[in-house]
Amino acid sequence: MDNLLSYIDPLLDGAWVTLQLTLYSTVLGGVVAFMAGIGKLSENRATRWLSICFIEFFRGTSLLVQLFWLYFALPILGQAIGVDLRMPPLLAGTIALGLNIGAYGAEVVRGAIQAVPDNQYEAAKALDFTPKQTMWRIVLPQAIPEMMPSFGNLAIQNLKDTALVSLISLGDMTFRAEQLRNYTQDSTTIYTLLLFMYFGMALVLSAIMKILERYASRWRTRKI
Amino acid sequence: MKTPRISFISALSLTATALLFSTSSNAATLKEIQDKGYIRIAVANEIPYGYMTPSNEAKGAGPDVAKLIMAKLGIKEIRWVTTNFGSLIPGLKADRFDMVAAEMAIFPQRCTEVHFSEPNSSYGEGLLVAKGNPDNIHAYEDFSNNKLKVAIMAGADQLEMMQALKVDDSRMVTIANNADAISTISTGRAAAYAATSLTVSELASKSDRVEAATGFKDPIVNGNPVRSWGGFTFAQSSTDLRDAVNKELLELKKGEEWKNILTGYGFSETDVQESPKRTTAQLCTK
Repeated sequence: MDNLLSYIDPLLDGAWVTLQLTLYSTVLGGVVAFMAGIGKLSENRATRWLSICFIEFFRGTSLLVQLFWLYFALPILGQAIGVDLRMPPLLAGTIALGLNIGAYGAEVVRGAIQAVPDNQYEAAKALDFTPKQTMWRIVLPQAIPEMMPSFGNLAIQNLKDTALVSLISLGDMTFRAEQLRNYTQDSTTIYTLLLFMYFGMALVLSAIMKILERYASRWRTRKI
Repeated sequence: MKTPRISFISALSLTATALLFSTSSNAATLKEIQDKGYIRIAVANEIPYGYMTPSNEAKGAGPDVAKLIMAKLGIKEIRWVTTNFGSLIPGLKADRFDMVAAEMAIFPQRCTEVHFSEPNSSYGEGLLVAKGNPDNIHAYEDFSNNKLKVAIMAGADQLEMMQALKVDDSRMVTIANNADAISTISTGRAAAYAATSLTVSELASKSDRVEAATGFKDPIVNGNPVRSWGGFTFAQSSTDLRDAVNKELLELKKGEEWKNILTGYGFSETDVQESPKRTTAQLCTK
């Protein structure tokens, strides 16, 4: 029981890093998802292709390799051209996780926008809405509630993916667990604790996503 | 449907945040480190060479000696970085830290990638086997003749030793860190873990399902028994830092304090006596 208590402090230290990383990268991912998802439906060819390339690249390459690339390869590339490209581990982790989850999210955004019935666009046009107004006032309010369940999934996926940053010497929960395990060799207790800590965080995250979902679809139930 | 194009330009700028960092390529010089007041030193979490305790205190033969040297050089703060053994050299090259205190063995191949200080420690080899040594293994050479699997750590020099002993790659199980060794051996994923004698005895003391192979003799590679000399490691551009560390290290090695650190972590008298018998220049050209 004594060990158990001595494990808690370091693991909580790590949990704080995991929490920050999840928060930053999920927010970044959300922004990127909307930009690339809407971009993919743009009439502007350059924007469309840029979005497609971004989505396919980040979905199609390994997250772990992207992390290693940003952390170990980019600085060497920077040295070659005389620029300091060393990102702190937290920034490298946030960027890799955020862009990755954003690429997946972009497809969710695109799908939900395309699922808005055509007659909604026609009605907006008939009422002389500009394209921007149509997007913000007609399409997105209907599309966002459809995106929320998938976004919930992605956010939880993202939380669990943060464990990969332990490999670029960022002191997250998994990193702290490895450190304790190295010191005590008590794999069973430490990994069990770690499982439950991720599970607890995932529960809280899914509750938050549920609240967001309700908030996004509040207009549906509003009495007129 | 039309979307504002500005949003995409800002998407690009996100990816380009990396470019916002100040321009200074290559590793810091000794003067820069002294001016900054801190140095970044990496360990690979290997007991007793260099490791972090749960309270985030750096310990081990490398860190303890490094602390003394840094105090002499007037560098007040050490920021410790923990990373996998296999990431130590890539991390130095990418300027993630200024120095490695993992008692990394000085090897000709590594000398072409990074700079080494003069040897700090020296150590022999060992084998971690399951309790009772069911496969009756006592030397690295045993793997030349049998069909068993041997575990080694990614990036460690046991790979070269095994290759020199003609052990096929398919019979080597690579693990990421020492913490995986006990479960790898006790669950039979490999018959033995080849590591340095100190690592092996440290791991053997942590679990009663494994033990250090008895009657172990250091492997003979190219006619010589293998002994490794471990030193501090630097990026190739950090010559002045290395020279300064060397000067203090050689001074320290004359005294009792250095010897006590090594023996305190389980290094034998032989390990201590052998340490000054080779220079890095010799070890790099071997």
